[in-house]
Amino acid sequence: MQPPVSASGFSAPGDRASLGKPAPLVELSRVGKIYGSGEGTVHALVDADLRVYAGEVLLIEGPSGSGKTTLLSILGLLLRPTTGEITVAGDRVTHLGEKALPAIRARNFGFIFQGFNLFEALTALENVALATKLKNASVSDPFGDAKRLLTMVGLGDRMHHTPGALSGGQKQRVAIARALGGSPRVILGDEPTAALDSKTGLAVMELLRALAKEENRAVVVVTHDHRLERFADRVVQVEDGMVQPAAEPNSTGSGP
Amino acid sequence: MWTLARKILLHDRVKFAVAAAGVSVSVLLVLVQIGLYFGFMQNASSLIDNAGADFWIAGEGNENFDFAGAIDERTYYRVAQIPGVERAERMLLAFGIFKLTNGGTQGVEVVGIERGATLMKPWHVVAGEAWRTREADGVVVDRTEFPKLLLKGVGDRSEVTGARARVVALTDGIRSFTTSPFLFTNLDSARAYTRLAASQFHYVLVKAAPGVDHAELLARLGRIPHAAAYDAATFSARTRSYWSERTGVGAGFFTTAMMGVIVGLVVVGQILYNGTLEHVREYGTLKAMGTKNRTIVGIILYQALISSVLGFVVGGGLAMAAREGMRAANLNVVLMPSLLAATGLLTVVMCMLASCLSIVKVLRLDPATVFKG
Repeated sequence: MQPPVSASGFSAPGDRASLGKPAPLVELSRVGKIYGSGEGTVHALVDADLRVYAGEVLLIEGPSGSGKTTLLSILGLLLRPTTGEITVAGDRVTHLGEKALPAIRARNFGFIFQGFNLFEALTALENVALATKLKNASVSDPFGDAKRLLTMVGLGDRMHHTPGALSGGQKQRVAIARALGGSPRVILGDEPTAALDSKTGLAVMELLRALAKEENRAVVVVTHDHRLERFADRVVQVEDGMVQPAAEPNSTGSGP
Repeated sequence: MWTLARKILLHDRVKFAVAAAGVSVSVLLVLVQIGLYFGFMQNASSLIDNAGADFWIAGEGNENFDFAGAIDERTYYRVAQIPGVERAERMLLAFGIFKLTNGGTQGVEVVGIERGATLMKPWHVVAGEAWRTREADGVVVDRTEFPKLLLKGVGDRSEVTGARARVVALTDGIRSFTTSPFLFTNLDSARAYTRLAASQFHYVLVKAAPGVDHAELLARLGRIPHAAAYDAATFSARTRSYWSERTGVGAGFFTTAMMGVIVGLVVVGQILYNGTLEHVREYGTLKAMGTKNRTIVGIILYQALISSVLGFVVGGGLAMAAREGMRAANLNVVLMPSLLAATGLLTVVMCMLASCLSIVKVLRLDPATVFKG
């Protein structure tokens, strides 16, 4: 389990209970993103409001080009919004300079991708240890942490294999373990099941949901696959840059 | 971190081998070309550098050591009478025609020295007796020039410009810049071999008396009419400078050496850049996870360092082997420690420069791109 209050200042579940309303880990307020200028202007995101809470699985759905990836990138502080505010762990980060953002990302976010993005030259253990070390330079035993994380995702017996020797599902589990390196409270996934067969994809989603519930992390997943909705606590629809409001969670967990 | 850098680089061993080979060829070219240059320059001033003279007196306006204008006995006596001169010796340096045993001829650079000379005499004598150059037709040649002169050893006889010559001693490794073999003999024989008038020669070598101020003595020597005086170091540098700068020899060697550097830059740059492109999503992922730019730049620079060290070791080894092979062909490749150190540093700098494109690519990499496609 994670400590009640992280170094980044996330509120602990007990605090939320005492306040009667959960405090969001990440909050977007009237966030907009405009690409280009003049006649080529594209409004990728328009006045988006979104809160992400600990312990929930949030699905972002929508057609291609609707603005899902832009929303996810802004949530993960990979992209600056044109308008609006972003709050992470209660702190406004919109005004921060480029040099400050990597450290905030490293503390608070883990990323998983459709294409895994693992270093082929490194073993599963090395891929995860590397991320752990990079995200937290002071960690004393990155390999020990990596072993623990790989065992957690069910790859305790495959940690010395390179990605080339692993199946798609196993690669995604390595990527999930890597995303967990440094104990971020928010996991952002961009179509993490799209490159997997349906059975493996569902298994990966089960793992992500378990991480949300058992580790009290927030999991945000962009997907086209409606079958994944059963793993979600909330589903947000994005269409033409507009984020459809989703019901706020009353408690952590209403999935399968 | 360093393990990651090394493993990424070594993951595709064929590509890494190509990169290391590129650096090696570059190092080989640089070392051999500059080593050859230093070898030629060493030959160009070898007579000056191995003489015991403190000062050299040449004819006024003399530009080229090997093609000097003649001076006469008056200059010699003026030099010898200057206070502070302990010893003055005449030396002749001109070209003669050596008759080969097969009926052909070979140009030789005749070095005429005083009988009983102490300031200029053959060195590295490996056979025979060099003092016998005082005999009327006694000559000393270098054994590495045997293939050109078709000689077999001490005692061989021939003619130089129609006058008799007899090999009385052999040296090893005394070679001229002009590629015409040196032939040491006494002044009289030298004049016969070069058809120079009886009172003429080309240089006066001067040994300063103990305790004499060299600068003051040089100034006094410089006041001799129709002559120019140089201290040995200046004269050596002037001689090397003539061949290096006036003839374009230096530019030629350094141009080839620079081409080696460019080859290395292009090959290593391309390999590193391709490697970066292949891993751009992974680097983007690292950036997305919060890795600072300087960490990723460190990975790329470390890869460049690995390439440079391995390439230098292999290229340096090949250059050593090439030096031995070229020695057999009478080419002098000088690989002194300072040249090796400088080339090592150049190789590291070259590889670091080659990684610039990769670094720019990574610095400009937007971590948001990892979510695209």
